[in-house]
Amino acid sequence: MKICKLALASLLLGTLVGCSPSEQTTQQLEHAESDVFKLSGDVKHIMQWVLDPAAFGVWKSAGSIITAAGTRELAPTTDEGWLAVEHSAAVVAASGNLLMMPGRAVDEEGWKNIAQGLVDAGLVAQKAAKNQDSDALFDAGGQIYRVCKACHSVYVRGENAGDLL
Amino acid sequence: MSFRKITTVAGLALGSLVSAHSNAHHAFGAEFDANAPLTLRGDVTRIEWVNPHAWFHIEVAKEDGSKEAWRIEGGTPNTLLRRGINKRSIAIGTEIVVDGYWAKDRTNSANGRNITLANGKKMFMGSSGTGAPEDGADTGR
Repeated sequence: MKICKLALASLLLGTLVGCSPSEQTTQQLEHAESDVFKLSGDVKHIMQWVLDPAAFGVWKSAGSIITAAGTRELAPTTDEGWLAVEHSAAVVAASGNLLMMPGRAVDEEGWKNIAQGLVDAGLVAQKAAKNQDSDALFDAGGQIYRVCKACHSVYVRGENAGDLL
Repeated sequence: MSFRKITTVAGLALGSLVSAHSNAHHAFGAEFDANAPLTLRGDVTRIEWVNPHAWFHIEVAKEDGSKEAWRIEGGTPNTLLRRGINKRSIAIGTEIVVDGYWAKDRTNSANGRNITLANGKKMFMGSSGTGAPEDGADTGR
């Protein structure tokens, strides 16, 4: 078994050593695009079923409700509550990567920059939730929305989210 | 306190004109009618200082003496902060006048553009670049 693994590793190494780094990258990407990723839904599905619920999971957990009776803070009050927000934030971050997958990415520049911004915003929210920092979570929620707005202002072609691309 | 809902022919005509400048963004266009501008006057009963949009709830007195609850969508909290509005800027019970656009489903919901306080101070409460009509409410802000 060990010999088989060594032989396989040698074969792969031998295939790669003759290539420049850029050629290797290209080959890896082509390999990834053709063999690894299998799209399980389009951008609309990611928006409606993955990103939107996760983003609202973050948004609804930070902020204030002010009435004549006083101010109610929306931040979680239990470890379980914070963990749920951390989960939502992690899904937001992962959604950015899902949007960059071959077959979903619309272009090489703007789309990927915005999607990377979504990953960053999700990670900021995740860290805030992990630290149980309600102010940081609120700010991260704003950061997530700014990414949403930036993307929709360029890539949504109609008045509804259903018009996305 | 009085209730005024301006959906006159003139208002609709104006709305038709400004809607021609609307950008595509689902946040406004999917929920609110750029052809239905309105003005509401009422007391603030609830403020939701949340992302992605702050909401201001008001109680509007109708001409027959009854009251109606309306909810007004504002900009993001970050946007409002930049405009000088924080979650304590408008106390509960304060009378405000809101200029905005009615919800497409004709529920008591609107997208707010300007808030005017009793002392005449006017504040832009919306967001730019969301697809809301370019009605000049956010000019220079």
